[in-house]
Amino acid sequence: MLTRRLIVCLDVKGGRVVKGVRFEGLRDVGDPVELALRYEQEGADEVTFLDISASAEERDTLWDLVRRTAERLFIPLTVGGGVRTVEDVGRALRSGADKVSINSAAVARPEVLTECAERFGAQCVVASIDARKEGSRWRVHTHGGRKPTELEAVAWARECVARGAGEVLLTSIDQDGARSGYDLELTRAVADAVDVPVIASGGAGNAEHVRDGLTRGGADAALVAGILHDGLTTVGAIKSLLRASGLPIRSTT
Amino acid sequence: MRVTLFDYGAGNLHSLTKALATEEGVDVRVEESPARAVDTDVLVLPGVGAFGSAAARLAPGRDAMRSALEKGLPCLGICLGMQLLFDSSDEGEGAGLGYFAGRVTRLTSRRVPQIGWNQVEGDRTLSGAKLDTAYYAHSFVCRVEDASVVTGWTTHEEDRFPAVVRRGRVVGVQFHPEKSSSSGVAFVRAFLREVAS
Repeated sequence: MLTRRLIVCLDVKGGRVVKGVRFEGLRDVGDPVELALRYEQEGADEVTFLDISASAEERDTLWDLVRRTAERLFIPLTVGGGVRTVEDVGRALRSGADKVSINSAAVARPEVLTECAERFGAQCVVASIDARKEGSRWRVHTHGGRKPTELEAVAWARECVARGAGEVLLTSIDQDGARSGYDLELTRAVADAVDVPVIASGGAGNAEHVRDGLTRGGADAALVAGILHDGLTTVGAIKSLLRASGLPIRSTT
Repeated sequence: MRVTLFDYGAGNLHSLTKALATEEGVDVRVEESPARAVDTDVLVLPGVGAFGSAAARLAPGRDAMRSALEKGLPCLGICLGMQLLFDSSDEGEGAGLGYFAGRVTRLTSRRVPQIGWNQVEGDRTLSGAKLDTAYYAHSFVCRVEDASVVTGWTTHEEDRFPAVVRRGRVVGVQFHPEKSSSSGVAFVRAFLREVAS
């Protein structure tokens, strides 16, 4: 049986790992390669690098960082942020990424999802969606959550999959960094709407939140960041709780 | 020992190269020509891309590679690389190597692609390393004509399919051992020790 995944996200900027609250107020939390290796050892199922560099100079460090990580990391590595074209995706994969997440560029030009899926396979194309709640719906935002679009998140997720995305990384902007749990309603709505794996993101404050994202939210995987980097809990502690809740979880002992 | 990765397009070859190189005395190179790729001690068909474009890249050297495998060249095919060891695929045009009889078809499960860690049931491929859980990322699977080549099965929802096939010195794995953490790397090393040397 396919197990549920715990994915550790490292926000990188200028080659360092940083973490903010609601996409702002960044703090330096460590070296990406060392942190990725530590999380593999602790039993993380995947690692994601989200590049939030503001300038081209900062971004240039990303591909070198990906290559150095891929040479030592033996679990899947996803890279997102600053990936705009098929050429960018090719470069990310060549550098050592296994999957690439595409966010603003897919909103600007949805064809890019199809082009990437046809060339590299749907399994390496992750549609990254940042959504903010408005009444009973969720509005898609781009550019790190700053720019509202006309798109509704559930419909947009469906379109991304129809166009070739093999996975959806779904982030609640409202919950991101707040540590009060994932937006379960949003997660459930998208997980029910598409047939590809959905990754819940934004808001995990403890292991119970992760469990709720997978059970009540119906996600295949959960993305966590700050609570691990800050030492509030561990990969092992989260996975123990998930296993005790009856979820199929990969054992690393 | 010379280990050659046949590079037929896009994809992360770094982790696989490093996983192979963890075994002592292994010299890994990457080769884009299928004809030259068989001039080696061990051939590796890596795992990312689409069947059609990979088959097109393989075509000029297909007969030479098929013949080298039949003569005993050790080979490890990973994911798409495993699928290339079969006859043909619903994913795209062109011929595979036909070393294993069967066709590649789409998963019949609801959640496709299958992405994540799943079991390898009763893995009997190698004696030095048994995998029980591995990382998969694929939409298509190999349907074998002869089940005796299957050395480990797996199941995604209701669809049961080969996780590993082996005939002689040729092994195909649907999962990514180079992405299956330390037990996956141990599988790669055991392959080099038991099958290739």
